[in-house]
Amino acid sequence: MHELSLAEAINKTVKELCARSEWVRVRRIVLKVGHMRQVDAELLSFAFDVVAKGTVSEGAELSILELPIVFRCHACGKAIGGEGTTFACTNCGSTNVELLSGMELTIESMEVESQQVL
Amino acid sequence: MSEIVTIQQAVMAEDEKYAFRVRESMREKKILAVNIIGSPGCGKTTLLEAMASRTDFSFAVIEGDLETSRDAERLATAKIKALQINTKGLCHLEAHVVEKALSSLDIDSLDVLFIENVGNLVCPAEFDLGEDFKVAVSSTPEGADKPLKYPMLFAQAKAVLLTKMDLLPYIRFDKEMFLRDVRSLNPKAPVIELDLLSGTGIEKWVSFLSERLREKRAHAV
Ligand SMILES: [Zn+2]
Repeated sequence: MHELSLAEAINKTVKELCARSEWVRVRRIVLKVGHMRQVDAELLSFAFDVVAKGTVSEGAELSILELPIVFRCHACGKAIGGEGTTFACTNCGSTNVELLSGMELTIESMEVESQQVL
Repeated sequence: MSEIVTIQQAVMAEDEKYAFRVRESMREKKILAVNIIGSPGCGKTTLLEAMASRTDFSFAVIEGDLETSRDAERLATAKIKALQINTKGLCHLEAHVVEKALSSLDIDSLDVLFIENVGNLVCPAEFDLGEDFKVAVSSTPEGADKPLKYPMLFAQAKAVLLTKMDLLPYIRFDKEMFLRDVRSLNPKAPVIELDLLSGTGIEKWVSFLSERLREKRAHAV
């Protein structure tokens, strides 16, 4: 289950971000995930709940925005959005394509709480 | 009080710093670093064993394993310099672990460093270890549907090794489909067919590596 590996990586990155900015609690994380990553959103959320226990992200909601695969074909010049994960142009069949989107694994934004100043 | 902050940071950014340091050190020492990824039992260790005394370059192996040190012992028997990293259940290697391993391995006189990743096709494909490239290893008994099931790995691999070709007469393996699917994911990577028992194909694999090493050194000048 690579969702567990990804959840651990997300949790580690969020922890570092919080330590740097003195955020004490994370309520929500918006994550962009490219289709190439083959992430099961439900599994990832579940895995994240588990690994986030006892950290600043405990109980945080993980919102996953899935991004489709988009190619540019160098043979016919078209930009092609693919359903599957094959690297061939659906217009002309060329494999001379460049991946424009689909490999993302990015924390887009977070809802955080800072230290209470009394 | 909570606020919404824009982050836009890659999840692997922290580990990528370590990967960058590994890559820098490999560049300085002009060592080719190869991350080998494949299922358990696909022949990763056998491949490395079979390379002993068949290369004109020197090499060492960082061996990622879940629990045991059996693979490193096998390599030591073949007189191959190997360092075992026990991942203690983690299903992939990460760059910080590789960086640490490098400090305890004498690599100055090396030409090629192999990192044999934990036997798994999914998680290792996600993590950059600072290697020059990844190599996908798939064996014929695993079936011809591996490329489309694990597109991340096959799309990124610089070479695809198809092992256990000697079993082809005894099993059902649609080689045409395998090759076609690899092509559709990765038009450029060569597919090298190997029979590690007889040694067929090893020469091709070794010359592929020698060529990449030569390129890296020509580039580094
Ligand atoms: Zn096209």
